[in-house]
Amino acid sequence: MAESDKNEIYLSPSPHFANGVTTQKIMSVVIIALLPECVYGVVIFGIRALITILVSVAGAVCFEALFQKLTKHDITVSDCSAAITGILLALVLPPTTPVWQVLLGDAFAVIVAKGFFGGLGANVWNPALTGRAFLFVSFPAALGASWLDPATDAVSSATVLSQIKEGSFIADSGTYLQYFLGNRAGCIGETSILLILISFAFLTLTRIIDWRAPLTMVATVALLTWATGGDVLMAMLAGGLLFGATFMVTDYATAPVTGPGRLVFGAGCGLITFLIRKFGGYPEGVMFSILIMNSLSAFLNKLTVTKYGYGRRAKKPVQARKTVTSFDVKNAEKEASK
Amino acid sequence: MFTFKGGIYPPEHKELSRDFQITDAFPSSKTVTIPVTMGGAPNECVVKVGDRVVKGQIIAQSDKYMSAPVHASVTGTVKKIEPHMVTGNTESPCITIVSDGSDETAYMTPLDPFSCDVKDALKRIKDAGIVGMGGASFPTHVKLNPPAGTEIEYVILNAAECEPYLTIDYRTLKEDADKVIDGLAIELRLMGAHGIIALESNKADLLGVLNDAISKTGYGDDMEVRIVKTKYPQGCEKNLTLALLGREIPAGGLPAAAGCLISNVGTVCAISDAFRLGKPLIERPLTISGGACETPKNIRVPVGTNVGDLIPEVIQLKRGEVAKIISGGPMMGFAMTNAMFPITKGTSGVLFLTKKETYIVDESPCIGCASCIRACPMKLAPVMMARTIRTSDFEQAKKYGLMDCIECGSCSYVCPAHIRLVQRFRYGKNVVRTRTAEAKAKAAAAASTGGTK
Repeated sequence: MAESDKNEIYLSPSPHFANGVTTQKIMSVVIIALLPECVYGVVIFGIRALITILVSVAGAVCFEALFQKLTKHDITVSDCSAAITGILLALVLPPTTPVWQVLLGDAFAVIVAKGFFGGLGANVWNPALTGRAFLFVSFPAALGASWLDPATDAVSSATVLSQIKEGSFIADSGTYLQYFLGNRAGCIGETSILLILISFAFLTLTRIIDWRAPLTMVATVALLTWATGGDVLMAMLAGGLLFGATFMVTDYATAPVTGPGRLVFGAGCGLITFLIRKFGGYPEGVMFSILIMNSLSAFLNKLTVTKYGYGRRAKKPVQARKTVTSFDVKNAEKEASK
Repeated sequence: MFTFKGGIYPPEHKELSRDFQITDAFPSSKTVTIPVTMGGAPNECVVKVGDRVVKGQIIAQSDKYMSAPVHASVTGTVKKIEPHMVTGNTESPCITIVSDGSDETAYMTPLDPFSCDVKDALKRIKDAGIVGMGGASFPTHVKLNPPAGTEIEYVILNAAECEPYLTIDYRTLKEDADKVIDGLAIELRLMGAHGIIALESNKADLLGVLNDAISKTGYGDDMEVRIVKTKYPQGCEKNLTLALLGREIPAGGLPAAAGCLISNVGTVCAISDAFRLGKPLIERPLTISGGACETPKNIRVPVGTNVGDLIPEVIQLKRGEVAKIISGGPMMGFAMTNAMFPITKGTSGVLFLTKKETYIVDESPCIGCASCIRACPMKLAPVMMARTIRTSDFEQAKKYGLMDCIECGSCSYVCPAHIRLVQRFRYGKNVVRTRTAEAKAKAAAAASTGGTK
């Protein structure tokens, strides 16, 4: 008997190697990228933001586990995807959202938007945004009608985007800086453009997210705003454009996977955001633009790059070889001597 | 540095065996189990049980052009002719020969490759049973006789050796550079082409050895050494032509369509031996490595040596640590059920991997991260191929590149959900091929009955 027979031998198709990256690791990196936004949200909006975030994460994880238990599936909350949905939902809610509404949003996100469609990777619409959309249309008074200003701790109804819409916004350089740094009214995680840019850089450098869709989305909004004579800088700083572009447009399951598909996806999100902001009934359009484009992802996946063997480089121009080798000469001499 | 887009950077693990000189080894059982067919059309056995055969004597052959004869790799008696497990865990007819310890050989007479006729040279290569020794085992005389109208401008010696662990091409180049250059020169003479030796940058230390060997032979104007980036699958011929020459081999075409011919290091050595010594391809060097190997090494064995017969005299294993036995490299090799399989002309290595080295985990759902798209060296969309295969939409899978897949395994390597993508693609290709063949047969049947109606 060969000695190897004493071992437990495994069989599997090639390759017999993996780089060790797992779904859980990717999700953990995304959570790390979201932490600065969470911390800053708590810093400017206080304990209410902290409660919202914690309740949202706990709710999302519990609802997913509960749903999987009831539907007799393996409980997979350890992959951290439900936790991310929880964090994302909290970060796109105003800090004044009642706790029970947060939980309702969680339930809608992980059960209706994700679980019903087959769970991780099978959902069509971004769960966190679907949860938010559900709350947005169900409780318009709590979401979007009034905003907490961290500077004064007072509630006001006007935001820059609504002012822009009404034409009453007057720009001054201090406002831009304030909006860049993030000490302003808004959803918990969307206010600091600086931190979002840091997260974006981190996620792009770790190759967790692809730059394509975020870039085309922001570029499209900027271009269209510029073309219609709007305030390009404020269009990018105010509202949830950059947050959405960094964390929502890059959602794996609900965005296209192909490079060209992602470019078009981002551009579509940008276009719809602009249209809603400019002509729609709401001051902000990031949420609906992404949800609408989510529906098109499956179609956008048909856009692919040219495969190897089909492109320009495969159609080699017929050309004479540059150099005559000594073997050519020898062969020719041999032919001649015959 | 020359390279291509996509690909992966797996740990190389070449340090395990790269400093060990190639040593000759012989199975302890003095028995070899030689598959009747190793590349090309199926051969017919020309010996009987009980026959005495001499090392170098033809024992199986076919009259088909697209075939390569098989020779006895030891002198002795034919014991059995019956199916035996071979690479791929399938049974294939094999000739078992027990050596009688004699040194008798039946080689062909040496032939000068530079003065003989091209026809004779190709015949010599066929008679020597030479096939591609990188794994695909394509008959070399067919490769060196490209279809009319295609001009071979470059012969690329593929010394990239991009599979982790394997070091046999490296050792061969280091120890036997003269023979490699001679073999390459023979190919160049037959093709009237320019030669490029492609080395991955992790083997750049061979540059001096090779340049010396080239200048010694005076072929300096006809061949050059080029360094390509260390990256998997740099050694795939499609990626090699793209990296070195900026040319793609057209889909479904041969490298000849891009004016290239790609040869393996072992193959050119065998060509040199066939002319200079008259020796057919009856032995091959290979790497024995992996974390479960006590002493990883490079050995040269007679073709047909059962790997199990080398244990424990030649291959010492760590007790109880072997989790996978792989014939070939870790990216494209086959996992075997046990070590009792013969080393064939195309076996470049045998690996014994520990559970920690290989990955043994369950699949989880695809999250659509598109890592596979980024890793694909053929610019395909593996995730979409897998999704369309799942819904049996093979037409769409073809559009995503199913039939262009080279099964290099880069996509599976990076998949965070550990989805066995390559296996899915093999299945998908198989279905498509079967359906195409059925459709063809149906059309032919319809055409023949159409006339009688």
